[in-house]
Amino acid sequence: METFSQFNPTLLLVAIFTPLIVGLILLAGKTLPRSFSSGFAFLGFALPAAIAVWLFLPSSEAFGSPLKLRFTGPWGFSFGLNGISLPLFAMTAVVGLAAGIKALIQEVENRNAYLGLVLFMLGGTLGVFATDNIIGFYFFHEFALVPTFILTLYWGGEGRRSAAMQMAIYLTVGAMLSLAGILIAMSAAGLSLMDATFEQLFLGLHNPQVSLPTATAAITLFGFGTLASLFPFHSWAAPGYSAAPTPVSMIHAGALKKFGLYGIIIIAAASMNIGHGTVGKWFLICAVANVVIAGLICLAQRDLKQLISWSSVAHMGPIFLGIWVCTSRGVAAGLDAALFLMVAHGLSCAALFLLANAVRTRTGTYRFDELGGLAKHTPILAACFVAATMASVGLPGFGNFWGEIGVFLSLKGESLWLQALVASTVVISAVYSLRAVANVFFGPPSKEITERFSFAPFKDLSGAERLATFILLGASLAIGFAPHLITRHTNEDAQGLAKLSKLTQANSPHSTPSAR
Amino acid sequence: MISLLSTIDVAFKALAPQRADWASILPEICVAGLALFCLIQAMVLPKSLRWLIPSTARTGIVLVLVMCLVSGTAWNPHEGALTNFAGLLQISDVTVGFRITFLLCAFLTSLLATPFLQERKATITDYHHVLLVITAAFMLLAQSNHFVTLFVSLETAAVGLYILVGYLRLSGASLEAGVKYLVAGGLSSAFLLMGMVLVYGSLGAPGVDSLNFDQVASAIHAGKTTALTMTGIALILGGIAFKLGSFPFHAWIPDVYQGAPTPTTALLATASKAAGAFTLFLLVTGPFQPLDFRIAPLLAGAAVITLLVGNLGALASTDIKRTLALSGVSHAGFILAAMAAILVSGQNGDYDRHLLSIYLIAYTVGTYLVAQVLVFLPSTEDHRRPLPSLKGLLRRSPILTSALGFGISSLAGVPPSIGFFAKLLILILLAQVKLWWVFGVALLSVSISIHYYFAILREAVIRPSQEAQEVQPISVPLSAQFIIGALIVVTLLGGLLFG
Repeated sequence: METFSQFNPTLLLVAIFTPLIVGLILLAGKTLPRSFSSGFAFLGFALPAAIAVWLFLPSSEAFGSPLKLRFTGPWGFSFGLNGISLPLFAMTAVVGLAAGIKALIQEVENRNAYLGLVLFMLGGTLGVFATDNIIGFYFFHEFALVPTFILTLYWGGEGRRSAAMQMAIYLTVGAMLSLAGILIAMSAAGLSLMDATFEQLFLGLHNPQVSLPTATAAITLFGFGTLASLFPFHSWAAPGYSAAPTPVSMIHAGALKKFGLYGIIIIAAASMNIGHGTVGKWFLICAVANVVIAGLICLAQRDLKQLISWSSVAHMGPIFLGIWVCTSRGVAAGLDAALFLMVAHGLSCAALFLLANAVRTRTGTYRFDELGGLAKHTPILAACFVAATMASVGLPGFGNFWGEIGVFLSLKGESLWLQALVASTVVISAVYSLRAVANVFFGPPSKEITERFSFAPFKDLSGAERLATFILLGASLAIGFAPHLITRHTNEDAQGLAKLSKLTQANSPHSTPSAR
Repeated sequence: MISLLSTIDVAFKALAPQRADWASILPEICVAGLALFCLIQAMVLPKSLRWLIPSTARTGIVLVLVMCLVSGTAWNPHEGALTNFAGLLQISDVTVGFRITFLLCAFLTSLLATPFLQERKATITDYHHVLLVITAAFMLLAQSNHFVTLFVSLETAAVGLYILVGYLRLSGASLEAGVKYLVAGGLSSAFLLMGMVLVYGSLGAPGVDSLNFDQVASAIHAGKTTALTMTGIALILGGIAFKLGSFPFHAWIPDVYQGAPTPTTALLATASKAAGAFTLFLLVTGPFQPLDFRIAPLLAGAAVITLLVGNLGALASTDIKRTLALSGVSHAGFILAAMAAILVSGQNGDYDRHLLSIYLIAYTVGTYLVAQVLVFLPSTEDHRRPLPSLKGLLRRSPILTSALGFGISSLAGVPPSIGFFAKLLILILLAQVKLWWVFGVALLSVSISIHYYFAILREAVIRPSQEAQEVQPISVPLSAQFIIGALIVVTLLGGLLFG
């Protein structure tokens, strides 16, 4: 297997740069024939997925676990995967493939430019998880956001005007805050700023002589938190996803948003002690608010896409809680479950966006009061939607189950009210999800649907739509039935982080009175 | 040419006891010669061949640019800085960067001015003549080592800019802007001159040239400063702050930038601001260096207020040119912040000295990209550019939209543009020298700026809701397309190279 480890870095670069290069060619080639651009774009979507899955599966066990590659790419950015980023990288590529299939079957104006920009977004998102250079990490994130805005503004749906502005401001402020935190930390650790890696930052900040300004942890946490829709900086997310074209919502809510969480884990949690003291207390409060308040907002939604967007905000709550419990109490299972949920949520949420749009293209609406009884006309769509909803709610068999149950179990040492509050959200989540399914697919067919169907009968899920759905749900089922696929990568890092957190606690008992 | 110059050189040396290396200012001489050549062409050429004039001007600028680039520091054979003309000028590797910036500005302004003036039926020759004189003056300004050279070259450029601001004689807005600029500029010159007099008077001693930067520095170093000297220094810095457009001397900027013809606005925003920045840099690291412990907090304070004033002002503006003018104020704030950080750090870093050049090049490229859009975007009045005039730009002209997109992104500091890396380098430096409050305000202002920059971009990109509207494509000449492409490449590659 020696040859693979030399081959691998190239593969990683190919996975990132194929979508970028294909995207660039499609953007430049406005008049490329349709069949060529479709095939070419598919290559850009499929190749990263193939490479990522190959890296992720047990066949690459030879590298040891967690997988570690590191090499310096062009312009001094170094690329590498660690136990935390590899599952996210693979998830991004899979979501990207499904989103790409969706983008290919959409009929849009300036199709080549549209596909090119989606590819750009995917390439940037892959870069986020594949670089271990801190500035590179930040760079790729912004690089992926720019096409997101253009796609939302030009190809987006209702409310894109204000949603895009809101998103731009929130995301820039969040990115700026996190950048400030990172820069303060890097200069405190005395690192060379342009080419410092996560590992160097980690080692630098754990040097006992280095002291960080107290506000750094808060700035970094809430900066990254804004990008991952942490309460109270979440209000950009739902309108943003709703207004964006479906492939963009899929990649953004499913994969790109995980940038914020990944940043919290690998920078803030790993070396800034965010679980303790005042910061830790507020982190907990905001995470719980995220679960409860976003859940309640979901209950009030009367629009399918809005509901999915808000539920994607609500599902960040357990992830934050998992990170919190690991950094604050040293429970490794919390982080393990949070990482599991990050991957699983990416898959299930992308599937929901995909299927909701399938409903919309057939019925012309997302509104619950105009939908109903769709299962009669489109049984396969209904079955897939039910399955995706089950995945999202956390039914055993799907990946989300391990994530959610893991987070709840890791909270077992906490106070009863916290456990009760978090457990209640499972019920809330089941209520709004199942009610949505009932509203859209079951019950008597609505007047609008019957009229529309008799006027122009619509077909069930097409082959391409089925393929995209099966890729996402299949991946979710795969990790649901074989959770070690994820945990074998994440375990070591989660345990290391938990140990570290316990150590910090033992070393400085005076710093944690308020969290107790 | 060189042999002729060396003859003059020999003759001059025979007359003056001090060293005078004429060859070292060959680029400036060439640019000034080019300015005269424009006038000669206008006299000699028949009307049908007048179109040659801007082209020869641009070709000349490119040749001088190549001369500067190729020779690099060849004008500076000695290690370190070379003092020339009895201490009037000082040439170092940094001034080479300054020269290149000014030449680039002149080249790009000429490209903007040609179609702009043709459309408005204004004479092109005079514009180019004045433009070249201004450029030569700015190039000399960046090398001045003496308050007399500084003042003379600054005034030469200022007089030229008064003309160019009020160039559209039939436009009330242009003339109004010209008058406003004249008044504001006159005031700033008065500040500057008064300051020089005070410094000269308080530091002067018999037999010493107290307007020479080195002499001023050594006098301040020797502790000869009095309250009068400090007042003088404050006045000088104030006079320069006018050019840079920093608080509290920024009030003229919105009106003048908005009223001036767009190519002149671009020149004011880039070359003139750069000249202010370079001069300030020369002063605070040169003659006033011994006082840096006092000047650095002053600059940092001015930076903070300038950043806030510029950004908050731009937030409220609905006119594109005015927004860009006020955002230019906030860029001046960034430049001041960088300078404060450089002073605090004691110029030890590798890139500190070139930080200003990088930032200004990024800002220049971004500004010219946006100016290209304004020049080709049809409008009845040049000084009225409401945001909705950009509506549907993506359909009307993808090339102009990408110019706007990359330009705005670079100005706003979105990765991977050169503007992002320029801002990042300044932020890193601010973090390194632990100027946390400036750092915080800089971050805040970047966040604020996203709102108005993004509003411009949104207007151009968003799909118009009324599909029925007839789309009129905007035709952009091939040469402009080429320049836009080149500037975009600089925006991207510059970013990646610095990264």
